[in-house]
Amino acid sequence: MSTIDAPVSEHGFDAYLAHKRNRRINNWLLVAGGVALLGWCFWDTIMFDTDWQRMGGALGIVGTIERFFFVDWSLLPKLVVPALETLMMATLGTLLGCILSLPVAWFGAANVTPSKYFFYPLGRFLMVLSRSIHEIIWALLFVGAVGLGALPGILAVAMRSIGFISKITAEAIENIDPKPVEAIRAVGGNQFQVMYYGIVPQILPVIIGTIIFEWDINIRRSAIMGLVGAGGLGLVFFRQMAMFNYGGVTLVVLAVLVLIAIGEVISHYARKAVI
Amino acid sequence: MSITATDIPTIPAPKREWSRYRHPQSTIRFAVILAILAFLGWSVAFLNIDLSRILGAFPRLAEILATRYFPPDLDYVTDADFVRSVIRTLEMSLLGGFFGVLFSIPLAWLAARNITVSRRIAYPLGRFAIMGSRSIHETIWTILFVTVLGFGMLAGTLALTVFCIGFAGKLFSDELEAIDMGPVEAMRSVGASPLQVFQYAVLPQVRVAFTGIAIYTWDVAFRAATVVGFFGGGGMGWYLKRTTQQLESTRVAAILLVIVGLVLLAEIGSGWLRRKIGNMR
Repeated sequence: MSTIDAPVSEHGFDAYLAHKRNRRINNWLLVAGGVALLGWCFWDTIMFDTDWQRMGGALGIVGTIERFFFVDWSLLPKLVVPALETLMMATLGTLLGCILSLPVAWFGAANVTPSKYFFYPLGRFLMVLSRSIHEIIWALLFVGAVGLGALPGILAVAMRSIGFISKITAEAIENIDPKPVEAIRAVGGNQFQVMYYGIVPQILPVIIGTIIFEWDINIRRSAIMGLVGAGGLGLVFFRQMAMFNYGGVTLVVLAVLVLIAIGEVISHYARKAVI
Repeated sequence: MSITATDIPTIPAPKREWSRYRHPQSTIRFAVILAILAFLGWSVAFLNIDLSRILGAFPRLAEILATRYFPPDLDYVTDADFVRSVIRTLEMSLLGGFFGVLFSIPLAWLAARNITVSRRIAYPLGRFAIMGSRSIHETIWTILFVTVLGFGMLAGTLALTVFCIGFAGKLFSDELEAIDMGPVEAMRSVGASPLQVFQYAVLPQVRVAFTGIAIYTWDVAFRAATVVGFFGGGGMGWYLKRTTQQLESTRVAAILLVIVGLVLLAEIGSGWLRRKIGNMR
């Protein structure tokens, strides 16, 4: 790497050595700066802010962790319905996210956008907005707007997944092969036929792969929606935590793991079938 | 009597339509689509969702944002304590990202099928560690760490570290599985130890990609760091929780604006850095 960008000059080898030395000094400065920054962060956050008394030494920590190990299996029958709710919330949220990301992707793809000066920046902004606000915050906003229940969870999951789905879709639309589109236009296809036979078949595999990927992530997200009042496994987690029933908490975490493993298996086969 | 051409009944040719999928596949496809639709319908019924409320939710959200949240209380976010919490959020994300990347590299090495130390023991172990930290959402990690270690940034940093292990570990191991095996086999055939193989045959191939992934991991960790405080992990999330519970919506609006702005800056910065590193390749 360093040999390629070495300056070519009449000084030849000496200049090259000096260049290398400079690079090495630069790298050392970079590393030293990074270490100093991390050290300061470490001191400020960990050493300064932590309440060491509260932890009660290594024994205290081990004692607290120990309480998580007595798994409360009696809770198991009560977890089936919340697990199903979580799965459904993720599925419906993904579906709604897909529907909502259609216009966003249309606005945000440079080659099909209705207006380059208004809708294109708007689409791009919506993508960033959706991704930059955490799902917990979306859920809080929607709980405020539509009340408790599964609905705010679905809406929050949908809002959070718009960014990713529409970004990938917009990129897929921007990268399509224009030849089929031109061919359909040349034989007299109308605008709808161009869309349906020219663009959609080209981007469909990418989009379906993305949707499956996003669904997988959305299971994780909807498992925490209960923490802010939106049903599912998160609500059971919250309740068990509030009751200090740490064995039950462990079981809920295990249930989330099982649910995600199921989701992973389904998405693995689905992706294989599509691609 | 002669037969004219018009008398001959024309036998219509069997109408043949082209379809992409033949009999068994088309039936399976139909069944799968039907099953998905049935599941969706069942979900709507089971969760008792009023479809008209979904459409009504967005105007309602806009109305609430306009009436209650609208003049964002910008004085609140320029307060010294709040600025301090923002800096601490940044510190947490840096530390969490750094340690996460540090721990995820060896784990990714174990979890990469082609270069792992042993396929029987190390591979499932590494895979499980990465999968486990990925599957549990960072807020749940935060709550668990807060329970064990108490409120404060230590819990938040650890939660972010675990989150980053899962996030970066997956990307790292994918990257490792795609490397050219030639140098690895050459090193192995001359009797190099696994560590030497990793250092001289694997690392040079993935160095640039790893740096890019590490920067991206920090970007994602910062997004997560804005809310770990909500569950007691320190940083600006704690202000968010306090103002939300006190229903001080104008302050919530100001905090949200700050979060969006910072995440936007982080994204632009990390994108710029990644492009720069990609050009060095």
